[in-house]
Amino acid sequence: MIDARERVTGQVPYVMDVALPGMLHVKLLRSTAAHAKIVHIDASRARALPGVAAVLTGADIVEKTDVFPYFGPVFRDQPALAIGKVRFVGEPVAAVAAADPDIAQDALDLIEVDYEDLPAVFDALEAFEPGSPLVHEEPPRLGQTFADVIIHAQSGTNICNSFRLRKGDVEDGFARSTHVFEDEFSSPPVQHVPLETHVAVASFTGDHLTIWSSSQIPYQVRSQLSEMFHLPASSVRVIVLTLGGGYGAKCYPKIEPITAIMAKVTGKPVRLHLSREEEFITVTKHGVTIRMKTGLDERGKILARKATCWFNTGAYADIGPRLIKNGGYGTGGPHAIDNVWVDSYAIYTNIPPAGAFRGYGISQAAWAYETQMDMIAERLGMDPLELRRINLLQDGDTVMTGEPIRDTHFRELLDEGAARVGWDHGDWQNTRTLVDGGRKARAKGLSCIIKGTVTPSTSTAAAKLNDDGTLQVLTSSVEMGQGLQTAMAFIAADAMALPLDRVSISSPDTEFTPYDQQTSSSRTTQAMGGAIVGAIDEIKLKLRALASEQLEISPDDLEFSNGRIQPKGTPDRGLDYGEVVRRDRAGNIQGSGTFQTKGGLDPETGLGIGSVHWHQAAGAAEVEVDLETGHVKLLGYHAGVYSGRTINPVQAELQTEGNVAFGVGQALYEELLFDNGQLQNGNLGDYMIASIEDMPGNLSVNVLENPESDEIHGIGETSLPPVMPAIGNAVYRATGVRIRDLPITPEKILRGLSEIRDGAPAIDGDLGAAAESSERAHEEVLA
Amino acid sequence: MIEQPVSESATATDEWLSLTLTVNGQTQHVRARTQHTLLDVLRDRVGLIDTREGCGVGMCGACTVLVDNRIVSGCLMLAAQADGRNVVTVEGLAPAQGELHPIQEAFIEHTGFQCSYCTPGFIVAAKALLDETPEADADTARAYLAGNLCRCGSYVKILDAVMDARERVAGVDGTAAGGTNREAQISTGDGDGARTPVAG
Repeated sequence: MIDARERVTGQVPYVMDVALPGMLHVKLLRSTAAHAKIVHIDASRARALPGVAAVLTGADIVEKTDVFPYFGPVFRDQPALAIGKVRFVGEPVAAVAAADPDIAQDALDLIEVDYEDLPAVFDALEAFEPGSPLVHEEPPRLGQTFADVIIHAQSGTNICNSFRLRKGDVEDGFARSTHVFEDEFSSPPVQHVPLETHVAVASFTGDHLTIWSSSQIPYQVRSQLSEMFHLPASSVRVIVLTLGGGYGAKCYPKIEPITAIMAKVTGKPVRLHLSREEEFITVTKHGVTIRMKTGLDERGKILARKATCWFNTGAYADIGPRLIKNGGYGTGGPHAIDNVWVDSYAIYTNIPPAGAFRGYGISQAAWAYETQMDMIAERLGMDPLELRRINLLQDGDTVMTGEPIRDTHFRELLDEGAARVGWDHGDWQNTRTLVDGGRKARAKGLSCIIKGTVTPSTSTAAAKLNDDGTLQVLTSSVEMGQGLQTAMAFIAADAMALPLDRVSISSPDTEFTPYDQQTSSSRTTQAMGGAIVGAIDEIKLKLRALASEQLEISPDDLEFSNGRIQPKGTPDRGLDYGEVVRRDRAGNIQGSGTFQTKGGLDPETGLGIGSVHWHQAAGAAEVEVDLETGHVKLLGYHAGVYSGRTINPVQAELQTEGNVAFGVGQALYEELLFDNGQLQNGNLGDYMIASIEDMPGNLSVNVLENPESDEIHGIGETSLPPVMPAIGNAVYRATGVRIRDLPITPEKILRGLSEIRDGAPAIDGDLGAAAESSERAHEEVLA
Repeated sequence: MIEQPVSESATATDEWLSLTLTVNGQTQHVRARTQHTLLDVLRDRVGLIDTREGCGVGMCGACTVLVDNRIVSGCLMLAAQADGRNVVTVEGLAPAQGELHPIQEAFIEHTGFQCSYCTPGFIVAAKALLDETPEADADTARAYLAGNLCRCGSYVKILDAVMDARERVAGVDGTAAGGTNREAQISTGDGDGARTPVAG
């Protein structure tokens, strides 16, 4: 990375390192009730504490300020502080600003809140039922939102939004199927756990707000704050420094609204920096239940798929209304299926809000369809690899959203994974090897996924070529460890024909850096890279014209090479870029570029252009399961992902390896456990994420390029969704225990082994008839 | 953008302590409340930004520092416990101003980081590892570093960096920290010692 030296010395600044003169510290008092009316708040003792500058409640915002108190990227349903009632344990109820963080913390203890409990609902399927307690009595206010968002809200219910996909005739597809299987799968809520928790520093100068935020989407923060404070967009300045991890957690405003409000009411700069425990209840990955019905012909070709997804979006919508679209259509998988029917719901409940999370709904969908693929193969007595091969999308097939796909590499990625873990196609039924005298079983599992990127979308960039020949690129894309700035520097240096050390990439500052829609959805290398190339093309056009005059040579006869513009083939007659700028007294040469994709889905059918192009990945796992303890060890893993053209191979590898680490945690450990809405394991003592010891001993990564394509495919998320089903499928083949509900814990494996023992002969050298017959029992063969 | 010392406005119950400690070779006289941790002091009083909190409960290793050559989670040690002691953060590892420690060089060479929030902690832990076990093999290193978490999952390249650093360090080690002593650690005890960063 271009700032590697600052990174290994700890000197790269994060927002937590920003300190302003006179800055106050904000702490939040959080709800102890899951769903309750706020009867009374007594903050008088807190206000009287020396050093306390302000104590604010939701009622105070409404009564004493003119701030519009609600925010959210789709629905403006989330108050900066709870107003009237609380909707989850941990919702901010009051905010204190004080001279130092200890005083702010002491003041929280002096605030008394009387709650009157309301019936609460935590489970998405329960909340979906008519008559269940309403998390929001009023229909949420729809605000200006992204072009691709489709709204089907159902007021008077907890259905925050729904998405439907209707491709072909699913019932006809089932009628023509020889085999039809219906299964249910679930993924739990988990948390992103960026090591840097959410942090913001806000300051008002008159009516001009400046806010430093650890945000992945500075322009969303700007538009939302501008709406809340009734300020023109130009009066809200959002500055983002490098992020200590994001993974989706830092998409869309979270703590910025209350931070800015406290700056406004105190007239002082303020900082809010969440604790780890607070981070856990600020945003989560959607838990979901997916019911999936798949019909196949006698050869194993899928003819129809019907899926219903109940995503638990928690107490506030956040980006759930959009995520259920991706998670919904995502259930179509990387398979050529003519008939697909999906209903996907975002459902309000009384748990913390769920939002964007690396994989964005596709992890949940892939866990369902790739687990079911193996279950179907088992029931049909087929090689799971072969079943996938029969169904994988090929060039010209239509994806689930109806558009033809091109540049497909699923088969290549899957076959390579199978080969890497030694999947024996000729002998696939010999599924497992026993070691340690039969105590441990080893086996392999496969998976393959498809993922879209947000479409349509827009990125813009500006660049200036200085009179010393250096290039400054102005971009609002966010560096969060993915190597954004390095990748953009590579692209810019290449496009401008400049040495890398003469290119600089800005951090986002909405006062100066132009619009970018979002640093998420694995879109930025392609989208912002494209915008930067556009900006540089404009600079080069101007530079060529100026040099043409100065050298008295036709523009067409000039070439760019290593910081110089020169007559083709004669470097000694060329000029440094800076020299051209200086001779013209141009000051600098500026360019701007825009990258915009078109597309979107029909609101009624879900058909259209789901993604400007489709991201593709496969995974292959080898596990060892201790049959006495249920402990799963990942022995080996191969991650294959299609990149089209790779900009920075090291960073691409890092992100792919990172996806394996992320996936191992979600496969084996991670789950937010709630008891009546109260999070039980919201700290890093009780919530396990993957450590260096959890990485597979034998890990290989292939970032697959296409020499014939110039198109960049984002790889930040793509290799994550295959990890969980590949491990789950391997665990099944090792144990005969089919886990449908993540995570794959030792308890579930032992319970499954015990059930197999009770119901049938214990599995032995090969997978027992017990497991096979129990899988087959689910088959519904149509007459 | 160095953290400014916070004001000392009194609360009713707090007691202020006067402490003297050596941080990266420099003597620091600081005032701290009884509940302040070493991490609080390093950031808010001494004004270092290189040591950062990740979890606050000693489980992630982001705030790993050396105290009298012992590996410590800065969030678990009370400031008062650091009184009179010698603290080294990642900033203090370099042999001289403007130079890098061989472990830092190895982390750059192998790109052993993504967001790099965990990097100072990993580098300090690697320093402690190689001081204690100069010939550490990959398994030893994995077990030792299991108390440092990298959510970006840069573990493959972190391990490559540490193994490379072992060779680089084998020659000269010019830090002020000298050797470290892991034996004196107090485990916070979840039964998985290797996973547990400790307060000294």
